[in-house]
Amino acid sequence: MNRRTGWGLALFLVLTSLAVLTSWALSLRPIRINVLMPASFADQTTELVRKFNADHTGKINLRVTRGPLETEAVSDLAISSLLLGKSPFDALLIDVTWLPKYAAAGWLAPLDPWIDQQAIDSLAPGAQLGNSYKDQIYRWPLVADMGLLYWRTDLMKEPPKTPQELLEISQRIQQEGRVPYGYVWQGRQYEGLSCVFLEVLDGFGGKWLTPGTDIVGLNSPASQKAASWLRKLISSGVSPKAVINYAENETLQLFKSGDAALMRNWPYAWGEVQKTNSPIKGKVGVTTMVAAPGHKSTATLGSWGFSILKGSSNPDAAAEVIAFLTSTYAQKQLFLKNSYTPTKAELFNDPELLAKSTILPILAEALQSTEQRPQTPLYAQISDVLQRQLSSILTGKSNVNTAMDRAQRNTEQILLAAGET
Amino acid sequence: MIQLLLLPAALLIALVFGIPLIRYCWLSVHANSVVTGLVAIPNHGANWLRLFNDERFWQDSAQTARFAFVSVSLELLLALAIALLLDQRWRGRGVVRAITLLPWALPTTVMALGWRWIFNTPYGPIEQLAVLFRLPPLNILSNPDITWLATVVGDVWKTTPFVALILLAGLQTIPNDLYEAFYLEGGNPRAAFFKVTLPLLQPYLLLGLLFRLAQAFGVFDLIQVMTGGGPASSTESLALYAYLNAMRFLDFGYSATVMIGSFLLLVFICLFSWLVIYQTRHLRGVFK
Repeated sequence: MNRRTGWGLALFLVLTSLAVLTSWALSLRPIRINVLMPASFADQTTELVRKFNADHTGKINLRVTRGPLETEAVSDLAISSLLLGKSPFDALLIDVTWLPKYAAAGWLAPLDPWIDQQAIDSLAPGAQLGNSYKDQIYRWPLVADMGLLYWRTDLMKEPPKTPQELLEISQRIQQEGRVPYGYVWQGRQYEGLSCVFLEVLDGFGGKWLTPGTDIVGLNSPASQKAASWLRKLISSGVSPKAVINYAENETLQLFKSGDAALMRNWPYAWGEVQKTNSPIKGKVGVTTMVAAPGHKSTATLGSWGFSILKGSSNPDAAAEVIAFLTSTYAQKQLFLKNSYTPTKAELFNDPELLAKSTILPILAEALQSTEQRPQTPLYAQISDVLQRQLSSILTGKSNVNTAMDRAQRNTEQILLAAGET
Repeated sequence: MIQLLLLPAALLIALVFGIPLIRYCWLSVHANSVVTGLVAIPNHGANWLRLFNDERFWQDSAQTARFAFVSVSLELLLALAIALLLDQRWRGRGVVRAITLLPWALPTTVMALGWRWIFNTPYGPIEQLAVLFRLPPLNILSNPDITWLATVVGDVWKTTPFVALILLAGLQTIPNDLYEAFYLEGGNPRAAFFKVTLPLLQPYLLLGLLFRLAQAFGVFDLIQVMTGGGPASSTESLALYAYLNAMRFLDFGYSATVMIGSFLLLVFICLFSWLVIYQTRHLRGVFK
C-alpha cells in the first residue's frame, strides 16, 4: 500500500463515517407534519399543538398552516396545492361537503388502517355521518356542526314547532310591535342557502337526492311546499327582504341587535349571543328546526374533520396527530374554551361540560336528527343549481313551479352527463 | 437586426401569455374533471357545443358586458373631470392628488366588503339615509334589477383614480403654447377643451378605455365578495363562472372553454371599440 492509496482510504473512511453520522442524525430529526386548517381552527388549536409537540419532542413536529378565514377560500388553497402535484400538507381539515369530491379526485388516503369499529362506535350518531366515500373512511371528525333554530325567550313562551306556527308567532309578535322582524336566515345565493333549504325540505317530508341513486326530489310536492314557504317568509314580511343577501354574519348581527324574534344559525352563534355585550344575553333559547306535522325535524350536518393526503410521506405520524387533536381531551378543551361541539358521544354526558353549557343536550338532540347534503363528487354543481333557482324564487324572478322544475332538470342533467363519461 | 432586441420581451410574453393560452385551448377540447379522475380525455368539441347551448354562459356574457360598459363609461367621464381639476394649479393640489389615488391603493376584497356593509339592509349608511327621508327600505343588494348597479358603484369608486392618473399624464403632455396660440386666435376656454384638449387626449382616452374594458370584463373579486353572483345570479360574471367550474366543480375542461370563450368575446369587443373610435377620428379629421 503506497502513500496515496493510504490517503485515499483514509478519505474514504472519513467520508463514509460522515455520511453514516449524518443519516443517523437525520433519522433522529423529528418527522414534520404539516396540517392546513381554516384560520379560526388554527388559532384555537394553538395550545393543543404546543402540548402535542411537547409530548413528542424529537419524534414528531406538528406545524399548522393557518389558512384563510372563509370556508371556500381554504378549499381553493388546498385544491391549488393538490393540483400542483406535490402538496406541502400531510393532512387537511376539511368540510363535510368536500369529502366526496376530494376522494373521487384521488387526493385522500383511506383511514381504515388506523380506525377500528370501537373508534367509530365512540362517535355521537350524527358525527358518524359524512366521513366516508364508497364505503371507505377518509375523514375523522373534529367538530360537529348542525343547523339550529334560535328563539327569544322574552318574546314567546314556546318556540314554534311547525312552519305554520313559525309564521303565526312571528306575525303576532311583529304586529304587537315588539320586534321589526320575525325570522332571519341565510338567503344569499351561496352554500348557506342550500343548508337552509335542506332543513325545510326534509321538514316537509322531501328528499333532495335519494342516497345511492340518481333520484332527484326537487320538483316533488314537498320541495315546492318548502320553496313556497321560504318565499312566503319574505313576501309576508316575517323575514326582511334583505335576507336575500344575508350570510351567517348579517343574520347574526340582526338577531343579536334584538331586531328579530327567531334565527337559523349554527352552534357558534350561541357563544356570540351570550357574550356580555350582547343586548339579548339570557333571552335566547335554542331548539331544532321546524317541521310540518307528521314529519321529523331536520338539521343540516356541517362538521369539520381531518383527512390524510395520499401524497404524505408520513401517514402514520399524521394519523397520530389526528388521533390527538380529535381525542376526548382535545375536544373537551375546545368545547370549554371555544364552544366547539364535540363529536365523541361520551362528552355529551360529561358533567363538567354540562355545567358549562345549557345547550349541550339540545346539541345532542339536534345531532340525532342531522341530514347530510347529497354525497356525490358533483355536489358543488348540484348545490349551485339549487342556489340559483332558489334565489330566483326568493327575489320573485321566477315562480316556484318553474324554478323547481328547472332545478330538477338541471340536476338530473348533471348526474346523467357524469354517468356517461 | 435591431428587431433582435425585441427578442427577450417577445420570449417573456410567449412564456406568460402564449403557453397558458395554448394550454387552455388544448384543455377546452378535452374532458378533464373530477368525473374523469382529473385525466384529460379528448371529447371532440363537446365542451364548445355545450358552451354555445349554455344559457348561463350567454346570460353571464350579457351581464359582464353590461357591467363593463356602464362602469368604464362612468369611470372615463369622472376621471376626465378629476384629471382636468388636478391639472390646474392650485394650493394643496399635491395632497389632493395623493388622496385621489387612495381608493385604487386599497385591495379590492377589502373595499368590496366595505361596500357590502354600506349597502347592508337595515344597518348600512345608505339605508339609514333612506330612513332619514322616510323612504321604504331600499334592499339594494336583494333586488336583481338594481344590485348590479351597486357593483358598478363599487368598481367606479375603486378604479376611477387609475383612469384619472392616465388622463392626467396625457394632459401634461399637451404643450401650453397650443393653448396660448388658440386663445391668441380668439378661442374661448370651452372651444379650447373641444378643439385642443380632447383631440390630443384621445390616445390616452383610448388607452384608458382598453385597459379598463379588459379589466372590467374579467371582474371577479368585487362580485365574489359583494354578492357572490346573486341575487338570482343577476351579478354573476364570466370570470366567476369560470372560477366556479374550475375550483368548485373541478371541471377544468369546461372551465377552460368558458375562459377561452370569454377571451374571444373580449378581443371582439376591444377590436370593435377601437374601430369605432378610429373611424370617428378619421371622419372628423382630427388628426392630419
